[in-house]
Amino acid sequence: MFRYILKRLLIAVPLVFGVLTLTFFIIRLAPGDPAAFFIQPGISPNVAEQIRQQYGLNDPLPVQYVKWLANVLQGDFGRSFSRAQQPVVEVILEALPVTMTIAVLTLVANFVFGIVIGVISAVRQNSFLDRFLTVTALFFYSMPEFWFALMMIILFALKLPLFPVSGLNEVGAESYGAFGFVMDRIWHLVLPVTVLSINGAAGIARYVRGSMLEVIRQDYIRTARAKGLSERVVILKHALRNALLPVITLMGSSLPFIFSGALFIEVIFAFPGMGRVTVEAIFARDYPLIIANTFVSGVMIVLGNLLADVLYAVVDPRIKL
Amino acid sequence: MALLSACSKSGSKSAALSAAARDTTLVIGMLGDADYLNPVIGASLTSSEISGLIYPGLLQGEFDTKTGLLNYLALEKRLRPSSGPDARSPKAALARTWSMSPDRRSITYILRDDAKWADGKPITSRDFKFTYKLYGNPLIASPRQQFLAELVGADKGQVDFDRAIETPDDTTLVFRFYKPVPEHLALFHTSLTPLPEHIWKNVKPEQFRESSLNQKPVGAGPYRLAEWNKQQSLVLSSSATCNLPKPGNIRRIVWRIVPDYTVRLAQLQTGDVDVVESVKPEDFAAVQKANQDVEIKTVGLRVYDYVGWMNMDGEHYNKTGMVRPHPLFGDKRVRRALTMAIDRQSIIDGYLGKYGVLAKTDISPSLKWAYDDSIKPWPFDQAQASKLLAEAGWVPGPDGILQKDGRRFSFSLYTNAGNARRNYACVIIQQNLKEIGIECKIEIQESNVFFQNLQERKLGAWMAGWAIGLEIDPLDVWGSDLKKSRFNFPGFINPRIDQLSGLAKEKMRTEDARPYWVEYQKILHEEQPITFLYWMHETQGFNRRIEGEKLNISGSFYNIDDWTLKPSASIAP
Repeated sequence: MFRYILKRLLIAVPLVFGVLTLTFFIIRLAPGDPAAFFIQPGISPNVAEQIRQQYGLNDPLPVQYVKWLANVLQGDFGRSFSRAQQPVVEVILEALPVTMTIAVLTLVANFVFGIVIGVISAVRQNSFLDRFLTVTALFFYSMPEFWFALMMIILFALKLPLFPVSGLNEVGAESYGAFGFVMDRIWHLVLPVTVLSINGAAGIARYVRGSMLEVIRQDYIRTARAKGLSERVVILKHALRNALLPVITLMGSSLPFIFSGALFIEVIFAFPGMGRVTVEAIFARDYPLIIANTFVSGVMIVLGNLLADVLYAVVDPRIKL
Repeated sequence: MALLSACSKSGSKSAALSAAARDTTLVIGMLGDADYLNPVIGASLTSSEISGLIYPGLLQGEFDTKTGLLNYLALEKRLRPSSGPDARSPKAALARTWSMSPDRRSITYILRDDAKWADGKPITSRDFKFTYKLYGNPLIASPRQQFLAELVGADKGQVDFDRAIETPDDTTLVFRFYKPVPEHLALFHTSLTPLPEHIWKNVKPEQFRESSLNQKPVGAGPYRLAEWNKQQSLVLSSSATCNLPKPGNIRRIVWRIVPDYTVRLAQLQTGDVDVVESVKPEDFAAVQKANQDVEIKTVGLRVYDYVGWMNMDGEHYNKTGMVRPHPLFGDKRVRRALTMAIDRQSIIDGYLGKYGVLAKTDISPSLKWAYDDSIKPWPFDQAQASKLLAEAGWVPGPDGILQKDGRRFSFSLYTNAGNARRNYACVIIQQNLKEIGIECKIEIQESNVFFQNLQERKLGAWMAGWAIGLEIDPLDVWGSDLKKSRFNFPGFINPRIDQLSGLAKEKMRTEDARPYWVEYQKILHEEQPITFLYWMHETQGFNRRIEGEKLNISGSFYNIDDWTLKPSASIAP
């Protein structure tokens, strides 16, 4: 297995690198100009040219590529164009904790609620409870996140002012002390995490229900019941473990989400996370930041897939790597 | 559940705590973060507004709403007497007085001697000379470098700082120009904000933008930077030692970054935020119904939307560099007919209501000294429009669409994505034009792409807008030299415009140029190089607990250091 992982990681290096190279050329060939902001009446025409010179955009494309390559190989992703020349690594390191806090909370809630609802639906297949859960889950699953978020804000922040409308902390939260600060932060996270996890849990519940129904009909489940095991043990020990195999793929593919951020939620709740960094970078044609973001999400997708494959082998003895 | 209730308990506790802090804290909701809190390189409007509170100014600017003229104030001298409700006291100015030399080739300032940077060091004339060198350094690429365009040496391509700026002693500052310069322009161009030399002198120009000093600005204004969480919030606190003019009244001002407009509005309703800029007219009623403490304030007319028509054949020009009329819009009768076919008033009534004003040219009605009230806007008259089009040779074809020499009058109207107002206007325009037999397709492009296409003069017809400067200088937008006039997107060429603008610049008093600007407006009105649609009042939402605010065309935060907050006890339910 160790060899397998090592092999996959080695293959991943040229893969990620190829993605970065492609991105490098595509964004430079796409229309739009990083210095466009400086082209407006009242600003000297020289400025845009000087800025392009500073960013090194006046060199021929191959020269730019070689220079960029040399820097990246030394681990230097450059400085952001649009965020006041902040090193892009710093920009990402500032945004990551915010995104990860939300994402980890969301994923835990997603899987816990998703699995519980899925199992209940499957065990009580076609009952009223199952129908109710299925319809509710589909209802939330098909709801656009940004709209749902705005509705939650209107309901729980405007009509019933229980939670704050947006932001990570109250203005002046620093003065509450460490405990107060963390509580204030959690209080601000309730709405966004609820929105994200209701949406996600609904999806996972559908998967779990489907695979659980399949497993329950298997012969070995009948055997387990025939042995006289209690229904609880049959479902939770024998059926669930097998039914969770497809869910593991979902876990692996959720990894990029932890790092790439949930754009709509970040915009609506004013969180300075990765989703916003990425989109704002694209709109501003902030080349170094776009590349660095591509790097982060590229690596995460590769690792996520690898993790899913490895987890498969861990939980399913039939699979050998 | 236990966790939830614990949170909401702490929530109410924190709400109580912040109520105490609320009376001394003003919160402003904004779309995006500031870039550099450094007057030399700060480029966004937010950055300039915030820098303006942190840094001192040589002079104080004042926009006179009665005349529409800009005024400059030193402690003991003003360019012209102040009038109108927005008059300011000049106490924040670093200059005590100034004098123009008789040949108008130099201006000498006498500075006050009691001004100090926030770290206690005195502000001297050397700080100005030092900073002007930074403004002029191409490696720094300051967006304000054109302010140096008249200094000695600028005509030869490189300002000669040793001769252009002299500092005989700490409180005397002399600027020399290579040509005679009108006083108002000299004042405007020599009053760039200084940086403290003793702090910045060791920063290399090529590292200027990266310098960590940009994160902790040392100024001398009524506020200083207390805290800056990138992309979240920026906090200024009143600077206790400030004597330019005084520490700000409100103890803390917080700019909160809330990218989503709906959420900014919601926060204005809940009172989490006290000021939100650019509230859309369609939301006024709902916001004010939900929170009676919110009021809508407007500033002068500075922004307009227009429909651009390519006057010349852009494709031909890009290929050959030669100008020939555009096959559809090259004829001024056609452009006038298009203006008359569009029901501009119903766009205003439907979207902007009383916050929109029909536009005739690009001289704003707020610039009263130059604005020509006698011009009657082209009426909405489709019969007349059809007649004009027929005169120009456009007659209905078999499919009902106008035709001339076998060419159908059909085109695409481009605009940028994400602007509800422009989308609304485009649909009305499309409908109006259809009524007189013109086919117009609406195409929406991502802003960056749209702007690039405009610059390359690739679009035939488009809808966009401009924000005007408070000094009239139309050459960038209407100059005949299309290489130099980068914003003359339609390729409108009328040498008289260049002449008028040159004549106006020679006048030593701004208001004496009025006859030229009146003629300028007549030309634009007759020629209709574009269809001017409407001027918009920018509308800002304010919480009523703010008192003493004066909003002005030169900015919503014109006198923010004089604002006060009503204590919450007096407005609590």
